[in-house]
Amino acid sequence: MRQGSGARAQGLGWWVLALVVMPVIAWAQGISLGDTSAVKKGHVVFLSEESVVEAGKPEVIELQFRVDEGFHINSHTPPDALLIATSFKVDSGDGVKVLGEEYPKGAAFRLGQGADAELLDVYQGVFRVRLRVVAAKGAQTLAGTLRYQACDNAACFPPRSLPVLVAITGK
Amino acid sequence: MRRIGVLAAMVVLVGLLVWAGVYNLRQRRAAMQRAQIVLVKDGTNPPATSGSGSNDASVFGGESLKGKIAPGFTLVDLSGKKVSLADFKGHPVVINFWATYCGPCRLEMPWFQEFSGKYQPQGLIVLGVDQDEDMPRDQVAEGAKKTGVSYPILMPDKSIAKSYALGDYLPQTFYVDKNGTVVEESVGTPSKDEVEANIRKAVGL
Repeated sequence: MRQGSGARAQGLGWWVLALVVMPVIAWAQGISLGDTSAVKKGHVVFLSEESVVEAGKPEVIELQFRVDEGFHINSHTPPDALLIATSFKVDSGDGVKVLGEEYPKGAAFRLGQGADAELLDVYQGVFRVRLRVVAAKGAQTLAGTLRYQACDNAACFPPRSLPVLVAITGK
Repeated sequence: MRRIGVLAAMVVLVGLLVWAGVYNLRQRRAAMQRAQIVLVKDGTNPPATSGSGSNDASVFGGESLKGKIAPGFTLVDLSGKKVSLADFKGHPVVINFWATYCGPCRLEMPWFQEFSGKYQPQGLIVLGVDQDEDMPRDQVAEGAKKTGVSYPILMPDKSIAKSYALGDYLPQTFYVDKNGTVVEESVGTPSKDEVEANIRKAVGL
């Protein structure tokens, strides 16, 4: 009886040890330092992971992007034709047909003060572009480019193109 | 005995995994540092904070021209006429780099227009140098028209951004006194008062 409970306690000990050690190993192996890519200097990063859709049927997938804190980019519908609209262009996608795109509404952003102020329409933080797609069965990759132009309150950066690869699995 | 062997094997395995993880982490940190150094060297590192311009271009990675003779240039204006900095020898000159997509540029350009009139008696010249990439002259003209400025707008060439050590951001402004020396420079849009203070410095008031 005592031998049985001793063995059970030892077994439990192994489990406790595993529970303590495994997270440490996982941390050491897989710790993330945030956005390490040089894309960081572009002020926008692509966040989305794989989308799973029903094969052969129109489905909506979301492409999630994040604008660095303190920066903004014009929305898809800026108030002035000279401002560069954010837009997503499909470059290639065997096995994925894009039927349409839907952009989020921008937020009002007041640049300057008083009579000099200009009202912009911008994306800040996380924003999502929705694509209506039909994907063939299996793992597909959609290649596209997000074109945008970033500014902060006092300075602007040249227009940039962020290449993105969207993993889509049709099931 | 068998248990000790299994335990020892597990300890070795865990130790190896931790070592590999730490090694991996160090490598990634080193790569991060190298990447950051490259960004600073390229002059493309963004301002760490937002909200106001800076009077020191060097903090953004570009080389400061303050106290140096303004690099000479010859560019064409919106009518195709050649304009050289040397044409304005003996005048205080404001050289403002801007682009049509740049909201902060559009904010400050009317101020330069206003001050070009206010300090005309002191001989102030304002030159706007467009930095749009491959934009046709008529579109630049349209952008300039929207800001309401009437001072010369010059089209860029490949060398001026280099000679003025421009970074990857606009606007940038250089305030040159009548002797041709850059007395002040700014990156981003400062306040209107700061712009005027810089102009007063250039005109010698």
